[in-house]
Amino acid sequence: MFPNNSEKIDDSFDHSPSKQVKSFQDIMFGLQKYWSDYGCVIMQPYDTEVGAGTSHYVTTLKALGDDYWNVAFVQPCRRPKDGRYAENPNRTQYYFQYQVILKPAPVNPQELYLKSLESIGFDLSDHEIRFVEDDWENPSLGAAGVGWEIWCDGMEITQYTYFQQVGGIQCSVPPVEITYGLERIATFIQNVETHFDINWNGRTDERKLTYGDVLKRFEREFSCYNFDVASVDILLNHFNDYEKECNKLLAHNLVMPAYEQCVKANHCFNLLDARGVISVTERAGYIARVRALAKACCSAWLKSLQEGETDHE
Amino acid sequence: MNKELLIEFFTEDIPARLHKNAIVDARELFLKILCKYNIEYENVEAFVSPRRLALLVTDLADNTRPVSETKRGPKIGANEQVLNGFLNSNNKTKENLEERDGYYYLNIEIPGQNITSLFADIIEEFITRMPWQKSMHWYLEKDKTLSSYWIRPIRSVMCIYGEKPIEVYIKSLGVTTGNTTYGHRFLSNGKICIKNFTDYEAQLTENKVILNFDKKKTYIESELSQQSASMGLVVKSDERLLNEVAGLVEYPFIYIGNINEKFMSLPMEVLSTSMRVHQKYFTLTYPDSNIAPFFATVTNVPITETMKKGFERVLRARLSDAMFFYKEDTDVTLEAYANRLSNVVFHEKLGTMAQKIDRMMSIANSPEEHRVIALCKADLVSQMVGEFPELQGIMGRIYASEQGEVSEVCEAISDHYKPAGAGDNLPKTFLGSRVSFFDKLDTLVGFLGVGIKPTGSKDPFALRRAAVSIIRLIFNLPHDILEDEFTWYIETLITAYADQGIALSSSVKEYVITFLKDRLIVYLSETCPVDFDLCQKIVDKCDFSNNEFKNIKNEVIKVDKLNKQPNFDVIKSAYKRVTGILNNFVLSSENFKYSGNNEYMKKLYDKLITPDVNFENIVNISNLVLDACDNVLINDADDNIRNQNFTLLKLYINLVENVFPTSLLTL
Repeated sequence: MFPNNSEKIDDSFDHSPSKQVKSFQDIMFGLQKYWSDYGCVIMQPYDTEVGAGTSHYVTTLKALGDDYWNVAFVQPCRRPKDGRYAENPNRTQYYFQYQVILKPAPVNPQELYLKSLESIGFDLSDHEIRFVEDDWENPSLGAAGVGWEIWCDGMEITQYTYFQQVGGIQCSVPPVEITYGLERIATFIQNVETHFDINWNGRTDERKLTYGDVLKRFEREFSCYNFDVASVDILLNHFNDYEKECNKLLAHNLVMPAYEQCVKANHCFNLLDARGVISVTERAGYIARVRALAKACCSAWLKSLQEGETDHE
Repeated sequence: MNKELLIEFFTEDIPARLHKNAIVDARELFLKILCKYNIEYENVEAFVSPRRLALLVTDLADNTRPVSETKRGPKIGANEQVLNGFLNSNNKTKENLEERDGYYYLNIEIPGQNITSLFADIIEEFITRMPWQKSMHWYLEKDKTLSSYWIRPIRSVMCIYGEKPIEVYIKSLGVTTGNTTYGHRFLSNGKICIKNFTDYEAQLTENKVILNFDKKKTYIESELSQQSASMGLVVKSDERLLNEVAGLVEYPFIYIGNINEKFMSLPMEVLSTSMRVHQKYFTLTYPDSNIAPFFATVTNVPITETMKKGFERVLRARLSDAMFFYKEDTDVTLEAYANRLSNVVFHEKLGTMAQKIDRMMSIANSPEEHRVIALCKADLVSQMVGEFPELQGIMGRIYASEQGEVSEVCEAISDHYKPAGAGDNLPKTFLGSRVSFFDKLDTLVGFLGVGIKPTGSKDPFALRRAAVSIIRLIFNLPHDILEDEFTWYIETLITAYADQGIALSSSVKEYVITFLKDRLIVYLSETCPVDFDLCQKIVDKCDFSNNEFKNIKNEVIKVDKLNKQPNFDVIKSAYKRVTGILNNFVLSSENFKYSGNNEYMKKLYDKLITPDVNFENIVNISNLVLDACDNVLINDADDNIRNQNFTLLKLYINLVENVFPTSLLTL
């Protein structure tokens, strides 16, 4: 229901384009708009815990096969081991990536990227942007590519990768993946020292909410959960169950649900790792088990594509 | 008329650490290709900068060199398919065949060909064969195919021959060549049109690209030292970093920034490593080599106030991390870290680092040695070494000092990684040398014992380096580090492995000795320097008893020197001949007096009874010996005469063996 005229509504907010502070959410909107204008599908985050936007099925599975596919989305990421109980304002176990996949990689992705920075308020003549070699690899997903970390004034703000293989399978149409670290980009745009100081909602009055305001408690409680409280036996059972379920679903040719189980197993492994119960030798074993699931899912996906199945009508 | 050829591959950013090698590789490859196509030229130069790889050929002949040769084909009567293969590969038919000596022959006449028709092939071949360390391919949308492998995507190709643009389609890149390129990514505007190489270099400079790597590097180096000198500072020299930053920028700008005072309490190694590894910043010192609270960075664009703040801010974040690690690490004792080494795998077949330490203990002697061994690997599980693996040993030394270990132990902890191969410094302390020896010998025994050894250029566990280090430790230290027989160390380690239930091959001792001998031969032949075969002969005879091992280097040098003396062959042949005659003859009396009347033997006796042991005299005596052997029946039927002859010759052998090493005499 719309409020009727008799009720007083707050219309005091400033929605003019000259608004002084570019908020955290403005940066997200800006990138959404930029890549939407480019023609990307604007996807929503994967609704299960992932360590990176790469794990979203719209990255992993869709990187395989010959179909054209441009997609962009915000992805909250969970890296249990990176938690610092909210005591380190630049290091958290939960943070946000902006993920772009362009498949095939166009002829000018570096230029597109630089323009996207300008579109969210970067003055490129006032910052040094450089492309520093960094070949990316995700052993759990059997994925690898070559590319760079992109530095802004000496700080890495983006990972840029030409995928070469996913799930151990060579990409027939190699995509480019551009992964923006949203917090770091916001610290530059807002000229603040820490992630927790980032202005989230753009207000400058008493209703201003910072990144710290929004997420500090979340950070603290999840750090405790990840490091100290999570039940190891339950997680171990979960891991085994997800693995079992993944294999069962693959037997039913349900590739996407199977892949989701694989992603969940991976997160369980990350939690167990943060709990410190996985020894060096066991670690390799767990990673290999997750990779086996990822590979099986990717193979099944590719096979279904070759058999003429598509996920769009 | 001879012309110039200029080719440029305009590409996305080429990894900085590869530029130097790429310049050499590209040139070599292009020379090979020109040679293959029989193209005549004066010179080839290659250039690599972040976004381009360019090739310049000067004084290129218009036509390829005509070729005329006779090729031998299959035997007459060979399989039809084989013959057709031969004909097809040379574009000939049966009519062209000649028959001679039971074989088919083809006369191949390739006339000189205008080289413009070859450019597309040459470029394609260069792209496919360029040896990048790790390359990628990308999708060519127009042609619906994958590109050739290259380090990063190539966006355009320029090809100018004799000041004229050459337009050819490069299939493996999906681009048509032309005469345009681009300048600096941020400091130039749009396409530039190129006439020839001189114009290319000039326009690039104008558009803020220094094409020549060495020129750029020298410029950076001199700017760095000038700017720091003006502040009374010195740049800590770092060739690798210099090469890397030169490869990161199209045009260099330099900024000297501040390190916040609160981080200056960190050890210099930590500050310096953190700046270099994470930020590619140079360390600055005062003239007395103490670290100064400044850093130098090289950028690709002119530096603004915002950037300066950024460079300093990111360093603060990095050093805060380092500070955090340092604090966490020093809250824990090295013993506590050492206890965690049972979780660190040394090698899957050779157990944990804790087990390695136990084995090293089994060959150690003094309490100090045991202390060093107990602590020397502890820093591997520290946070700082987790972050910066290159600080292994160094952090151990610093932490040991923090917890009050005696300075000799602290030094030995970092020293025990030295020398890392042929060029590295030897340990400064005797204690460090001993532990380094234990560590490296344990590594050799273990890996060789489970059948892991280097193959060709692959030596993933650096076993050759370990062997060379052992050799250097034994030879080059003022003190003798072998307190027990060398073979005892090997045997004791083998027992220690067995006690831990790690099964090594039963021939491991021979493996280790053979492996060391091989390295020893190479080492001696390179360092003395002495002929390889000579080293091999001497080393082969070495039984690795301590005396022989330690003296082998002197022996080799001595033998080599003697061997190069003229007339030494005379001594060798006399010695060889006499030992053949004498067999196992034993000298019976000390006071021998020759009472025979053979002139040859008499002469020999006179010389031998009061021998003058300079080289020339021994040569003279040897000549007398050879004369005697030629003219006297040494093995006389008369017992007394025979005995006298034998005794005389034995005296000669004793003299010679006293002066020269047997290894040399029997060479």
